[in-house]
Formats: sequence, structure tokens, C-alpha cells
Amino acid sequence: MRLLLNVNGMEHELDVRPTARLIDVLRLQLGLTGVKEGCSEGECGACTVIVDDKAVNSCLVLAAQARGKKVLTVEGLAGDDGLDLLQRMFIEHGAVQCGYCTPGMLMSAKALLIVDPHPTEEAIRLALAGNLCRCTGYTTIVAAVRAASEQPAESPSAPPAGEGSAA
Amino acid sequence: MPNAELLTPGGIQELTAALQRATPSSRLLAGGTDLVRSMHHDHWEPDLLIDLSGVRELDFVRLEDGTLRVGALTTFAMLQADPLVRRHGRCLAEAAAQVGSAQIRNAATVGGNIANASPCADSVTALVALGGDVRTIDGAGRSATRPLARILVGAGRTSLAPDEAITEVSFAALGADQRTTFAKIGSRSTVTVARLSMALVIDYDADARTLSGARVALGAVGEAAFRDPRLEELLEGRPANNESARLFAAGCTDAVRRAIPGRYSLPYKQHAAVGLAYNAWNALGLCDRCEPVWG
Repeated sequence: MRLLLNVNGMEHELDVRPTARLIDVLRLQLGLTGVKEGCSEGECGACTVIVDDKAVNSCLVLAAQARGKKVLTVEGLAGDDGLDLLQRMFIEHGAVQCGYCTPGMLMSAKALLIVDPHPTEEAIRLALAGNLCRCTGYTTIVAAVRAASEQPAESPSAPPAGEGSAA
Repeated sequence: MPNAELLTPGGIQELTAALQRATPSSRLLAGGTDLVRSMHHDHWEPDLLIDLSGVRELDFVRLEDGTLRVGALTTFAMLQADPLVRRHGRCLAEAAAQVGSAQIRNAATVGGNIANASPCADSVTALVALGGDVRTIDGAGRSATRPLARILVGAGRTSLAPDEAITEVSFAALGADQRTTFAKIGSRSTVTVARLSMALVIDYDADARTLSGARVALGAVGEAAFRDPRLEELLEGRPANNESARLFAAGCTDAVRRAIPGRYSLPYKQHAAVGLAYNAWNALGLCDRCEPVWG
């Protein structure tokens, strides 16, 4: 079937199998291999992408269900001016070891910060509860997300001041 | 494996037209978190897949004449945060908050949870205690309403016809004199499948400090969430105190014994029921915290 899919700000017109999962279309048809497949059942969160500002497991939805919505993968996190603040904080805090869980962790964290720019530690842990990491023990990941949330909010046009100053 | 045909109705009328083509091998797709996993893992496809996600009329929460109406496509993320649900059916919001992970709650829907009919479906346990009624529409465009308990036939089995889609679930909105909670026990604290769950709705007379009209649903015990009248009667007219908590916990253990006699999980679940009962009791906040009596 023909599918119009908006991924990382770009419109794609694709010919997909009707039952193709979103992860398969992203990885195999669009080459977005930052989306990782782990458990294939919504347990590990490695496949997490953001659909209309909400984190979802791309292994548990069909690509067709994302029609008309905006899909954001880890490839779309970095802007023209470099890595997203979250990505920089992950690096700074050593929140990456083998790296397999990292794209999913980033996208779950990003989805949290979209709705809750200054989350409590409990909110961070809850938002990441659907993402498994076998390396880090989570401490550095939570620290990285907290550090990102404590920075002044970024704006795409990067004005010198004013953004994110509200309490 | 033949490719399923996917229909993507954009509204109720297109949905009924799609339902006309449904066969016993067809499936309705809501959030997808159970069905997509099942198709992928078990390598099967239905002959026809009807994606409900475009039927936005099924995404709502409304309070009408004392009845809370929840559209079938309402996700658990929406349920857990919805002010009407938290005010008038709080056990459902609490159950929704304990479903899976943030990613699952963003996709999975209450209608899907009912239709999937898992014995451990958290929202179903809450809705059984709330006395939920399920409204459906079929391929002929006919609407029908029946109690949730009549939809749940067994583990993974419902009384829904192949051409019948859940459109909403509704229940009498709880008032200020009613207390409610949901509690579950799993193998870990979050992102866990219930090994035992409970939803409790009870009338509380704050002046007399007495309980009445208890509705207690147990989930992940047997084939489908159920209410146990003998357990509910135990609390009728009782004061909200430590002794009532003890009676309630013992009653929960008895209810579990009655439900799954001889089952391999009974030794665990009859014991876990005590802890779960106290968790639920204390969450109601009726009296000072009560501690379990193990024996």
C-alpha cells in the first residue's frame, strides 16, 4: 500500500506492506538504523521513537498507524547547529557504554522534556522505565537527563536570552 | 503468508462499512501493542485488519447525566491524566498509570484492553469494579450496550462478533462519598504484568465512619476479572478500622481460593492477596494505616 510518512521533518511517499511495523519501514526502507530492535515486544524500549510528541515503541505499531503524524527518530534529534542538548549531556555524563539502548533512551527522555521541561528524578525514572540498559546501571543516564533539564531551554533559532526563563 | 488487507476508516460511517467485510479471521487494530506483537512473534496475519486509529470520534472522555463515558480509543496515558476520570473513576486512572511503560501507555487503548481480554488486563479489573457497560457498533451500523462482564468470556476470548467494534465503555460516575483504588502485584515495581490485581469501590459514610456497597474486582485470578459477592458482603455496614481490614484481607484470600482451586499459582496468590488487600485498603485512606496480619 502507498503510505505518506513524515519522518524527521521530511515527507516520504512509500510503498509498504500493509502490516509492516513502523520500525521495519524506518530501518529497512528509510535506512534509519538508529532505531534499534531489541525484544520486539515493547519491553526494552530500544526501538522508541516519538510520534506527535509522544514516545512509542516502533515495534508495536504499524507504519500505517503513523500516517498523517510526525515521526521523530534519533537521526532527527540533532539540528543544523549540532547535537541536541540531551545528546551532549549523554556524552558529558558518560551515559553511553555499548550504545544499543541509547537512541531509545534519548527519545524517551526527549518525549519527557517536551511535556515536562523540568521533571523530578522520579518522573525521569518513570519516563525511562520502559527502556532497558544492560551496561550503565542507569545512574549516568538519569544524571544526563537531569542535567539537560537544568539547562535553559533551547530554541531552534537560538536567541541570546529570554527563552526558558519562566520558573 | 498472504498479506492482510488493511482498511483505515476515517470515521464511524467508514468503520461500519469496513466492519461489513469482517470475517472470524479479521482483527480490529487499536493501539496495536498486543496485536502487532502477536502477529510479529507468532508469524500470522489476519485476512483483514481494520485500523481504528483514524476514527477520532472514539477518542473522548465525557461526563453526561452522572455517567462517565470513555471512548474506546482513549489511551492509558490520557486516562491516567484525565481530570474527569481521576475525579469520578479514580481506580481506572490508577490502573491506567500502572499499565506497561510510558511508550505502551501512549499507544494502548482501553477498548483494545477489553477486546484483547487478557486475564491480567489492568483497566479491565478497574472497569469490572466500576460496573462498566460496553457499547459497540456492528457492520449494520447497529449500536448495542452490554455489561463488561458479559463481554469477557474467558482468557483472550470475548462475546464480540467479528463485525462488532467497541465504541465506548461507561459507568456511573463516582461521587464524593465513594472511595476507590486499584492495586496490583507484579514481578517488579513498574512495567510489569499483574500477577494479581484488585480494584475496590466502596461507599463511605464519613459521619458514621461505616462502609457499604463494596464492589471488589480481582484480576489475574482465573480467566477474567470478576467480582465476588461473598467478599463484598463482608464489608457491609462495617466500621473503617483495623479489624475490617483484617476481615477484608482474609476474604480476599478466600475469594482467590474459590476462584482457582488447585491451580499451581494458588499457594502464591492466596498469600499475595493479603498484601494486596492491605495495599488497597490503606490507599483508600479511611483510617490509620493498617498492617497485614500474616498467618
